[in-house]
Amino acid sequence: MREPTFLILTALADGPRHGYGIVQEVRVLSGGRTSLLTGTLYTALDRLTAEGLIEPDREEEVDGRVRRYYRLRTEGLAALTDETARLRQLTTAAEARLRAVRPEPA
Amino acid sequence: MTGQLARRYRRLLFAYPRAYRRARGDELVGALLDAAGSDRTRPSVREATNLVGHGLRARLGRPASRTVVAWAVLTTVVCGLLAAAFATRAGWETARPLPRTAEAQAMLAEILPDQKFTGIEDEPALFTIYGSPLGRSTVRELLLGDGGEYSQAGVAGSAPLPPMTDPAEIVDQARHNMRAHGWRVYRPIFQDLYGCTGPPCDPTTIPQSTIIVAGRGDTTFTLEVTPTDSYNPGRISGGFLRATPVAVYPLALAGGIAGALVAFLLFAWASRRTEGRHPARAMVKTLLGIALFLWWAPTLLAVPSMAWHTIDEPHPSWHPMWEWLGQPVFSLFFVLGCGSALLGLALAALPGRAPQRAHSPG
Repeated sequence: MREPTFLILTALADGPRHGYGIVQEVRVLSGGRTSLLTGTLYTALDRLTAEGLIEPDREEEVDGRVRRYYRLRTEGLAALTDETARLRQLTTAAEARLRAVRPEPA
Repeated sequence: MTGQLARRYRRLLFAYPRAYRRARGDELVGALLDAAGSDRTRPSVREATNLVGHGLRARLGRPASRTVVAWAVLTTVVCGLLAAAFATRAGWETARPLPRTAEAQAMLAEILPDQKFTGIEDEPALFTIYGSPLGRSTVRELLLGDGGEYSQAGVAGSAPLPPMTDPAEIVDQARHNMRAHGWRVYRPIFQDLYGCTGPPCDPTTIPQSTIIVAGRGDTTFTLEVTPTDSYNPGRISGGFLRATPVAVYPLALAGGIAGALVAFLLFAWASRRTEGRHPARAMVKTLLGIALFLWWAPTLLAVPSMAWHTIDEPHPSWHPMWEWLGQPVFSLFFVLGCGSALLGLALAALPGRAPQRAHSPG
């Protein structure tokens, strides 16, 4: 799973969000490193919808602007859980190696 | 201010297919305006590029496919190249007719005044196959293996190499006279008259013919001086061709862009139409694969050999673009590829279940 996909799924983990809401959340989650452009975001949303990982939730209009919310499906939650476990395993392994190379000062 | 920016965003959304714009346009514009902030009046270049790129991607449908973009690129590029080649051929229609016999005689007399060239004949067209312009009677030959015979026609004649004459003297005289009469003369090419692989034959003793190519205005000239050997008397032959007309370049560019655009839109239409459970989905994909093989294979075979040939020998005028695509040597491949693509489009047009749009609103 690529990082932007992981971040989008993570952004939706705690509840439905609309397009710009996802962009903002992804920026926060990535510490400002990932800034999704709208075209990129919607291509990713289309793909994740086609893969059955997310689905449209509800629509609302704010200041004349249409906002459609997206939510994780069960399959999306499972995919995010699996990817998180995979990354955690990798991170744990990398940290163990780094500790061996650079032992923490007493 | 927001209205102006929204209008500009909506204009960029024309890169997306119409159904997508209807379903998602307002939502996309809303997200774009949210992201833009309040002080912007026009989309940034980065935003515009991003929207156009992803809009074109959306035209292909199949949002979960990781290969559809590659197929679209392969189709668009080869169709653009083939369309450019056709436009190149159309551009050649702006070239002047080949020099008539008398004009060719006069130019040869400027270059080698002491030699008497014979065998010069008027050519009926700029491109011929077996000495005739391409017509209904010669299409069969063109398609069935003799496509390589369709080539640029030249007005040429020859003269005997005078006895006891060093071919280098003739070459030097011709180069001198050509320069004096405004020809741009390229470096000479030396070609062995025959081949041999080793003892008892010494490759360094093989007699060589000397070829000089030159260009002046819209005419190119090739002179070949062949020395006398054990079997044949020495000969001088000279021939004139037309150089690529200037109109070829803009026409090829315009034709290539138009062909690529039409190919992309047709591919995208067929792709969107056959996504989901279209009855001919598998057949359309197979036919596209066949068409791409039949179009790309000659191109991939021809480009390296043409590139090597062009680098290896000086060319006052490059070979026509279609030869770089392996045409019309592989014209049967091209025609069969067109048949396959058209059949695929026809099958894609068959009524079936409405395409399943992953991006449809839930």
